[in-house]
Amino acid sequence: MRAIDDVSGAAVSEEKLVSAKPLRETRAHTRTSARGAPDWLSFALPLTVAGFFLVLWHLGVRLSGSDLFPTPAEVARGVIELAQRGLLLKYIVASLFRVSWGFALAVMIGVPLGLMLGWYARAFQALNPLIQIFRPISPIAWIPLAILWFGVTDMAPIFLIFLASVFPITVSAIAAVQNMQPVYLRAARNFGLSRGELFRQVILRASLPQIITGIRIALGVAWLVVVAAEMIAVNSGLGYLIIDARNAGKRYDLVVAGMVMIGLIGLMLDLLVRQLEKFDEVRWGYSNR
Amino acid sequence: MSFGKTLLLAACVILTGITFLHRALNLRAASNDFRVGFLPVTCHLTCPVTDFINKQIAGKSIFDPVRFQGWPELKEAYLSGYTRATFILAPMAIALREQGVPIKIVYLGHREGGDVMVHTDSQIFRTEDLKGKTVAVPGRYANHRLIFYRELKKAGMQLSDVNIVEMPPPDMPAALYSRSVDAITSGEPFPGQTEMDGYGRALYRVKEVWPGFISCVLAVHEDVIKHRRAEVQQLVDGIAKSGKWLDTNMENRMAAAQFVSTLYYNQNPRLLTYVLSQPPDRVKYSQLKPTRPNFEEIEMLAKEAGILKGTAHFEDYVDDSFAPADDVVIAHAYASKEK
Repeated sequence: MRAIDDVSGAAVSEEKLVSAKPLRETRAHTRTSARGAPDWLSFALPLTVAGFFLVLWHLGVRLSGSDLFPTPAEVARGVIELAQRGLLLKYIVASLFRVSWGFALAVMIGVPLGLMLGWYARAFQALNPLIQIFRPISPIAWIPLAILWFGVTDMAPIFLIFLASVFPITVSAIAAVQNMQPVYLRAARNFGLSRGELFRQVILRASLPQIITGIRIALGVAWLVVVAAEMIAVNSGLGYLIIDARNAGKRYDLVVAGMVMIGLIGLMLDLLVRQLEKFDEVRWGYSNR
Repeated sequence: MSFGKTLLLAACVILTGITFLHRALNLRAASNDFRVGFLPVTCHLTCPVTDFINKQIAGKSIFDPVRFQGWPELKEAYLSGYTRATFILAPMAIALREQGVPIKIVYLGHREGGDVMVHTDSQIFRTEDLKGKTVAVPGRYANHRLIFYRELKKAGMQLSDVNIVEMPPPDMPAALYSRSVDAITSGEPFPGQTEMDGYGRALYRVKEVWPGFISCVLAVHEDVIKHRRAEVQQLVDGIAKSGKWLDTNMENRMAAAQFVSTLYYNQNPRLLTYVLSQPPDRVKYSQLKPTRPNFEEIEMLAKEAGILKGTAHFEDYVDDSFAPADDVVIAHAYASKEK
């Protein structure tokens, strides 16, 4: 057992030696300047672009003379108002709660299902058409059914978020197994691994980087559908904030405030998931390319 | 720590933490399992008013008001059994009855309210002037749409003479403001909003062409009528008293504008304050016992518009046994402490 582990590990580290080293160096290069000081441009550039965007937005609203569409300052005041009324934290927590559970369920079901379908060709043949039929159906189309099945509880949006994110995860797991390099399997067979060991120690590890990519995309999708999912009469959440603000008369500042918060949290979620790439178990897959 | 363990630990921490936070911040214990659906519109005002006054007088509510953001969700929550009673468009309730849904109208939500609005500086002064113009109308089951069709016909026009676009009423004020449509029609407060903000002018008010006009009603599930009569009676009585209370004096209306806007509708109180007072009889909340002639007229218009088959009639979809006679309704004995 131990020996097998070492050997599969060795195969990986050998590749790292070949390709990962130069890549790490180039990465390091982008983060620090030639003299080794922190590269201020990596912060300054996106901030400048964002600032430029805000100025354009402000000028656009002012020049068009619209008093319906809010300026960035009005949106900021809207966000502050929400925070003062204690709603901002509540809504963020509510949305994160639904996305966390919907997404966690999708990972728990999507990854094993994808691995299985990627491995057993017959199961793939049987189930793949069904998956491809369900995959393009927008979560919005499921809203009526979600309400009929779950009423107006938290379960309904969780179900919609689950639906939206389970397919990218499943499909990426299937592809990861199907595209695995045959040399790993041959090596594993030579060592006489049992089926369980093969799955845990070779297949799962070999497909992990691609699965993580799928998970990253799926988390984006899960967060993307939060507005649609919260159209259901839940009484909290950032999606709800947007729909509620539409009903609240001329509160387009709150509509845009909801959009801005969704965008910013989406950015943070992505940064969080990218931390996974720091693990060696994942990084070897990236350095391969 | 290994990848798998870190991931598992992180997932557990995040899920437990966020669940705990969500429970603490957002979940409220339902006061009652008798849920009543409503939308944040003026036609459903008696629902939150009843809940609020009950809580003030008795310390607890007799039902749990559930606010929806649109008709489809409100209807589906009713069909799923989540809400036992709901404020709903009269033609929608009748259509559901025709389709075999066990629903009965027990009381009206309001009378009158709703206008056809055009831009203040537009050259539209009569229905005939709408020829070739774009008009935003609400969904097919809205009475405001039916009455608009009737007025077109009265003016000797066809539906094809105007460019009709279906639009959720909350989007209508912005559409009129940006001139993407030439006219809008819906229930309050949306037409009132355009007037308050100074870019909308009433082409006509619905009550001018149909005095006593009804758009939304209170409907309950037949099971509830059979098994929980006392609660239905309490609900209807509460709504009736709230209606009377709203129509008693302007102080009550202004108090309602404040507490409903902030606690139930999440709107700026300015809007409800305007709609409930400018003019004071824009929307009325008395004479709410369902009467046959009103509904026969709705049936006829809806049949003409092709949204009802005409297989359900007054006695099929109305149960007026809970509704008190209009002249014996007394207002809630409640005086608001607000200014």
